[in-house]
Amino acid sequence: MISTLGVGLILVALLICAIGVPVAFGAGARRSSRGLELSRRLAYLFGAVMVLANLVMEYALITHDFSVSYVAQVGSRATPLVISIVSLWSSLEGSILFWGLVLGGFTAAFAYLQRQGHEHYLAYSLGTLFAIGLFFTYLIAGPANPFAATPPPIPTDGPGPNPLLQNHLLMIIHPPMLYLGYVGMSVPFAMAVAALLRGQLGATWLKPLRNWLLVPTGFLTLGIMLGGWWSYEVLGWGGYWAWDPVENASFLPWLTAVAALHSAIVQQRRGSLKAWTTVLILITFLLTILGTFLTRSGVVNSVHSFTPSPIGPLFLGFLGICLVAVVILLALRVDTLVSEPSEDALFAREGAFLLNNLLLVAFTFTVLVGTLFPIVAEALRDVKVSVGEPYFNRMSVPICFGLLMLMGVGPALPWGQATSATIRRTLLTPLPAALVGLALAALLGGRDPSVLLTGAAAGYALWVTGARGTQAMRRRKGRGDSVARAARQSVLRSPRLLGAYIVHFGVIVTFVSIAVSSTFQSSEEAVLAPGQEFSIADYSLRFEEVVVEQKPHRLERKATLAVTDSGRDAGTLQPAINHYPTMREPIGTPDVRTSLTHDLYLTVMDIMADGRVGIRAIVTPAVLWIWIGVLIMTAGMGLCLVSSTPVGKAAG
Amino acid sequence: MIVGRPRSALVAVFLWVALWGAAAAQDPTGEAMALEALGLDSPQLVEPPAGPPIDGAELERRTQEVASLMRCPVCQGLSVADSPTDSALAMKEEVRGLLAAGYSDDQVLGYFERSYGEFIRLSPKPTGLNLLVWVAPILAILAGALLIAARMRSARPTGAGAAAASDPELDSYLERVRKEAGN
Amino acid sequence: MNRVALVLGALFVVPLLIFLAISFRYDPRAIDSPLIGRPAPTFTLAGLDGSVHRLADSKGRPVVINFWATWCQPCIVEHPILQAGARRYSGRVDFVGIVYQDDPDLIRRFIAERGAWGPALLDPGSKVAIAYGVYGAPETFFLDANGTVVEKVAGLITPQTLDRILGELL
Repeated sequence: MISTLGVGLILVALLICAIGVPVAFGAGARRSSRGLELSRRLAYLFGAVMVLANLVMEYALITHDFSVSYVAQVGSRATPLVISIVSLWSSLEGSILFWGLVLGGFTAAFAYLQRQGHEHYLAYSLGTLFAIGLFFTYLIAGPANPFAATPPPIPTDGPGPNPLLQNHLLMIIHPPMLYLGYVGMSVPFAMAVAALLRGQLGATWLKPLRNWLLVPTGFLTLGIMLGGWWSYEVLGWGGYWAWDPVENASFLPWLTAVAALHSAIVQQRRGSLKAWTTVLILITFLLTILGTFLTRSGVVNSVHSFTPSPIGPLFLGFLGICLVAVVILLALRVDTLVSEPSEDALFAREGAFLLNNLLLVAFTFTVLVGTLFPIVAEALRDVKVSVGEPYFNRMSVPICFGLLMLMGVGPALPWGQATSATIRRTLLTPLPAALVGLALAALLGGRDPSVLLTGAAAGYALWVTGARGTQAMRRRKGRGDSVARAARQSVLRSPRLLGAYIVHFGVIVTFVSIAVSSTFQSSEEAVLAPGQEFSIADYSLRFEEVVVEQKPHRLERKATLAVTDSGRDAGTLQPAINHYPTMREPIGTPDVRTSLTHDLYLTVMDIMADGRVGIRAIVTPAVLWIWIGVLIMTAGMGLCLVSSTPVGKAAG
Repeated sequence: MIVGRPRSALVAVFLWVALWGAAAAQDPTGEAMALEALGLDSPQLVEPPAGPPIDGAELERRTQEVASLMRCPVCQGLSVADSPTDSALAMKEEVRGLLAAGYSDDQVLGYFERSYGEFIRLSPKPTGLNLLVWVAPILAILAGALLIAARMRSARPTGAGAAAASDPELDSYLERVRKEAGN
Repeated sequence: MNRVALVLGALFVVPLLIFLAISFRYDPRAIDSPLIGRPAPTFTLAGLDGSVHRLADSKGRPVVINFWATWCQPCIVEHPILQAGARRYSGRVDFVGIVYQDDPDLIRRFIAERGAWGPALLDPGSKVAIAYGVYGAPETFFLDANGTVVEKVAGLITPQTLDRILGELL
């Protein structure tokens, strides 16, 4: 019964999209407000139906209704309730259903929030969203149908979701955040398509476009961070980013989205770069489809690969259609996005923005080539090659360093033409901060010139970010306002400016933390009998015993280690090896002691029959600050979404 | 000169030792064999090491370096340095042994490549088609920089007629006007 | 019509789609062995009972070298297949087993329960496995009478494959 209900709902959604495409595009072409109204209603309906369909699936998962094929695939009576709920996105078909939910939600929200004004852009945007929805509802209804009825005999229990997903709570939020980011890129894409079709990208459409680009970027930022954090806390190899093809797939659209956000600033200020911003947004969406294709098709060697399925070629087909459509659309319409004449000067802020875009796009290109190269090499040379961490690290470090420097130099420069004296002054003022940064890096123990230079660049950038971010506030204070009032006024009047500098601050914190954590990491391994201990950094670790615990969904074998920090008792850590009934190999879980300055990270390599254990300990400084830095970035992005309070209102 | 009985005894002893030696040399199993080395018959690296033998902290450091350039064959994308699996540990030991003997990083990587194929290198060798991954990013940056430079040059002659720096308050006022005018 | 956009677009899109389409033919996990066509690394290893086996002694006969372990499911499945093969080709082909990262006691117990199809040689430090470029268990290498590696089968081996390759070698 649930199967039929679910399938029925999806077919309704499919129908809505199928109707919506011609209606919305027609409404846009004929400037019909009735057509637009109908499109809007269809958008709300699409959202509602997808929500219902997902609720139906959740109901089936929670009540362990194994007559539904997806539940038979990932459900199990032994899994805790939370995991049952979360298993909606744990496997391929369910995750596409979830994709549909996010797409429907965004479509409805977009139709609602943009209901005032912009009629002619809106119709075209909705048409594009319905076209995307058409593909995904077709997938859910047909090839990747999670609601299909389980062929008899209907099992009474199932294997449960992938054990890796039951290991940690972070796995609960990581996929939804990632999907909100990924799928959310459909909206700015639709808006960009609308601008091209309409032949215009005015300031009034640019503002919501920037907001609708910012929202998924924020979610994507969080999603990527959570993925890295989860990888660190769960997978046990001590790292958080492996340049795995699927990880890269999520990173690529983030890079182009950030580039687009920056070039949109230039567009807002100078009216230039319209076509370029549009191209970047179109590429961002295309990268999300490419990324999804790589993840689900099984053509790349990845930790995250879903098992190859027939929908791989379908995604390639969709990607092909999107690519061709975008190229044709650009060829026909990009000339309509005429920019007002500009007078870019190389030394002024515009040049910095262009450099920023250059670096980000080059970064995107590099990661894309590296990720796809094994496919090219196999096709042309019939040999399998690996492109892994050493390559990506070598390529990304100089680019990231360039971006760090740009974050200092760029905001320091004034807009438009400036005398060389002014430029020299603004560029030289932060130099003392650079020296402080360099000194700090040296104090921490850095001897490598790249580490010292990173410290200098970070110091410089921090000074500029702080100076520019608080500039308005300091000016108000200078005019006589109190600190509190000056601060509040700044936030109310220009939240976007403040938000932007908060984001930059977060990026600097993240960069520096990543540099510090990879440069100053240390690790030790030892085999210990009960009572034996070994030491790393200031810690002394004594192995006490192995605790075996049988949970309903897995057998846990935990090695208890007593931690002593510089002679003081610091509690115990219990890294474990978990045995799942459905998997041959056990999965290790590290235990981490996090503090503000560093992490102590323990994994069990081996539990031997004679009672000894093999333990690996890693001490990594500043890891916590990586996550905090990204959270600061996301908070800043959120602030950027707040509209400034108009002059008349902010009287207090 | 030894003559008579002692001489025969000596000859007998000598013959007995010679026969025992000959028998032992042909003995395919057992005691004699225990003296023979087990493992690969010939060293897989026939070329001489490029440098002098190393040990201690230097050896550990270089082992980590080389191990991080090698892909763990039974893992998904992890390097031999990062992987706790038995295979990776065995390979790391092999790396350590070769480096201790004085082989260079390239020789060690080449050795594994001859058994495992190019796949085992995490960073593609910059030869042949692989040059694409190394050169393409640099070309991209250069191309982009040239484009920007070209754009700067063509934009400069337009002089002072540019749009005024935007004022957010004016923009929002204009936006309200446009909305009321029914955009 | 903006020709630059069209040409640039086509330049990116067409090769990308072609390569992605071709990629479906390949299995990212199947890696060819560079040893094929080259002399197999010869070794002298001790079996579970202490007896010593030299690969060089097999010269003049094709050899099947199988890396296996008791923790590997496909190895357990292919065990009877190798037993049948060893019987069928007895005297004409040498079947050699090398233990891949396993406990000798477990191997001993396994063989006691299910029988052997050839020597089970111990490979301390996995040195021979590394020399052969073993990516996991099971992996089977086929050597011709001159000791050259002619084929490698990764994963479960079927009787058909065994017969086909050995048929070509004999």
